[in-house]
Amino acid sequence: MSRQASGLRAWFLQRATAIYLILFILYALQHMIFSPPANHADWQAWVASPLVSLGLLLFFASLLLHAWVGFRDVIIDYVHPTPIRVTVLTVAGFVLVGCAAWVLQIIILAQIA
Amino acid sequence: MKFSVYRYNPDTDNEPYMQAFEVETRQGMMLRDALMAIQEQDESFTFRHSCGEGVCGSDGVNVNGSNKLACITPLSELKETVEVRPFPGRPVVRDLVVDMSQFYAQYKKVDPWLIRKEPMPEQEILQSPEERDKLDGLYECIMCGCCSTSCPSFWWNPDKFLGPQALLSACRFLADSRDQASEERLNSLEGPYKMFRCHTIMNCVEACPKGLNPTKAIGHIKAIMLKDAI
Repeated sequence: MSRQASGLRAWFLQRATAIYLILFILYALQHMIFSPPANHADWQAWVASPLVSLGLLLFFASLLLHAWVGFRDVIIDYVHPTPIRVTVLTVAGFVLVGCAAWVLQIIILAQIA
Repeated sequence: MKFSVYRYNPDTDNEPYMQAFEVETRQGMMLRDALMAIQEQDESFTFRHSCGEGVCGSDGVNVNGSNKLACITPLSELKETVEVRPFPGRPVVRDLVVDMSQFYAQYKKVDPWLIRKEPMPEQEILQSPEERDKLDGLYECIMCGCCSTSCPSFWWNPDKFLGPQALLSACRFLADSRDQASEERLNSLEGPYKMFRCHTIMNCVEACPKGLNPTKAIGHIKAIMLKDAI
């Protein structure tokens, strides 16, 4: 690992995830418009179907990575004192990892049901 | 024409204030002429200027909210009351004169000169017309500072973010077929600060009095970096 936080990698990650996010959002939107799930069982079946599950997992992985880079950018821009910066970034990291665990739980539960 | 001008003399004023002036205009008058007319009314009024034709880059000021070169800004393009302030984000030395040393320090960091590893030839290093064309839009920078001092990323991190001017210069040497230090130049720009604080806000493009495009140059450097990395 280099001594610095990443520049090029973070920048590339943000753009690559953005492309996947827009594609999946378009897919999800057209699904909700043309064949909206009528009830809870429909929702569950949609989420549990293998391709949608995989797509959703990738979507949330992309979303959280994208959010991490964006949030880190805002903090680097505006929050200068090191102790506050490290604390805020750490808390944000925990929240994002928590969100990831939660998404995983939801998708696995839908699979099992 | 009415003017409202930023005044601050650290020796006598506790804080900066705006002073109103009225200047009689004539056809074809530039903002620099108006500032000189104001100076005639009040000799203590201070601003930098030299060539008067957009070449030396001395008289960059903030006019009605955007950075411009006073000598090539026609008064006819400006809305009354014309508000003239020093460049934002720079320490004010006096009135419209700001301390640009940080801006020059960032320029120095990109090694703005040709680096040859091979021994220097006896004659000039020749370039094809196509190779020379790659420098267009990059070499014309006069370092007035309009771009970097209008860049929010430069306001927040002027010590760490190189700013659009220095990055345009970095691109100018990366694009030069005679330069042999691309690898070192790219390595020195890595990390979250030096170049990647640029969020393509594009204030630099709007501000540049020479019509250059630092955002495009920064995008070009990122593209070279990416190609180099994968």
